[in-house]
Amino acid sequence: MTAVEGSTLTTVAVVMVAYLGVLIFIAWRASRRTHGGEDFHLAGRSLGAWSAGISSTASSESGWVTLGAVGMTFTHGISGLWYAPGCLLGYLVNVYIVAPRLRAISATQGSVTLTDVITRRWGDPRNVLRVTATTIILICMMGYVAAQMTAAGKAFSSSLGFEGRSGYLLGVVIGAAVIILVTSLGGFRAVAWTDLFQGLLVAAALIALPLYAVARFGGFGALIQGLGAISPNLLTAGGDRIGPALWGFVIGQLGIGLGYPGMPHVITRYMATRNDREVQRLQMIVMFWGVAVFYGAGLVGLVGRVMMPDLADGEQALMAIALELVHPVLAGLLLAAVISAIPPQSHPSSWWRHQPFHTTSSRKLWGRSATIVAAWCSAAGRSRSSV
Amino acid sequence: MTDQYTLTLGAKLLLWGFPLALVILVVAETLLDTWWREPKQ
Repeated sequence: MTAVEGSTLTTVAVVMVAYLGVLIFIAWRASRRTHGGEDFHLAGRSLGAWSAGISSTASSESGWVTLGAVGMTFTHGISGLWYAPGCLLGYLVNVYIVAPRLRAISATQGSVTLTDVITRRWGDPRNVLRVTATTIILICMMGYVAAQMTAAGKAFSSSLGFEGRSGYLLGVVIGAAVIILVTSLGGFRAVAWTDLFQGLLVAAALIALPLYAVARFGGFGALIQGLGAISPNLLTAGGDRIGPALWGFVIGQLGIGLGYPGMPHVITRYMATRNDREVQRLQMIVMFWGVAVFYGAGLVGLVGRVMMPDLADGEQALMAIALELVHPVLAGLLLAAVISAIPPQSHPSSWWRHQPFHTTSSRKLWGRSATIVAAWCSAAGRSRSSV
Repeated sequence: MTDQYTLTLGAKLLLWGFPLALVILVVAETLLDTWWREPKQ
């Protein structure tokens, strides 16, 4: 990343702290509307199209869209964009096939978790399905949440000026504390509301920044000429790959979309949607958000390659461009958008077994306890990893 | 005279063609749902 003045870092840090304050405020507001088990796990099935749709997409695009996707086009040029059709095809399957069916079946059954839906749909007198599904989700999500903790540790330590291994550990602890506070305080409603806020921030950043940067260049024509001057391969759909290497790359990138229908923290949002009409509205919102964010991230990478061809790590292009082009307060907001992509996915809505708890308050209590245990286990695991 | 670079057809389809087609498809599907499949009140 380019050299940054201390005062700029201070401003960025202040904006970041304010941003965390906003997240906790949203969670506190959500907690005042959360009164029981179904409320804690599924926001009382009351989510509208915007909160269900944007929160589902924001939670599926962890740090990779603002870091990894940007790095793809920075490194490979236009051919690095093949992830976008892959992801958007996954979105299509989720919102047009999975969402309406999952909402209807979970509402009919009265199920609040995915394991409930599966076991009630196919029957599970010996609890084999429930235990298997819960174990698979728990193991996979613990690893996923742990990866988010790593990203949080790195992002917080770099933005708040913490140095070395102790700085990284402090970043992990701050990230875990905020995530646990937000999730356990307001439950699923807090997660949905904070994800909506974060998702809109990410979209705004990934639309506005590259367009502003391209305008500063002198338009898309100038961007194309800049990329071509670095390497003509940056302007082709295949890059410098040919034959099996090209097909393997394209199929691999398109294959990213296969994972979306299997993301429990994403498809649970559909169960919490208010009615079929909201699901219908959600479909268009999700697809527009996806196009804007995936292609915005790709454009950031292309702009970064021309603006800063010597940047050591292409995944840092978003922040590097922000610090170069915009006021530190806006840069702080953009960094907040990067960290926004690290969602509080440790909420147990996708895996918690609700049957043994007969009162709504006990379900809420156990839900909170499960959230705290899962998140701290993940954080503890990541705190031992190298920086 | 400097070289003039242009996007290949495949790159144009990947960068502009796919997202444009997808947006048109989604909007068309929504309009169909709203105006055609639902009976008018």
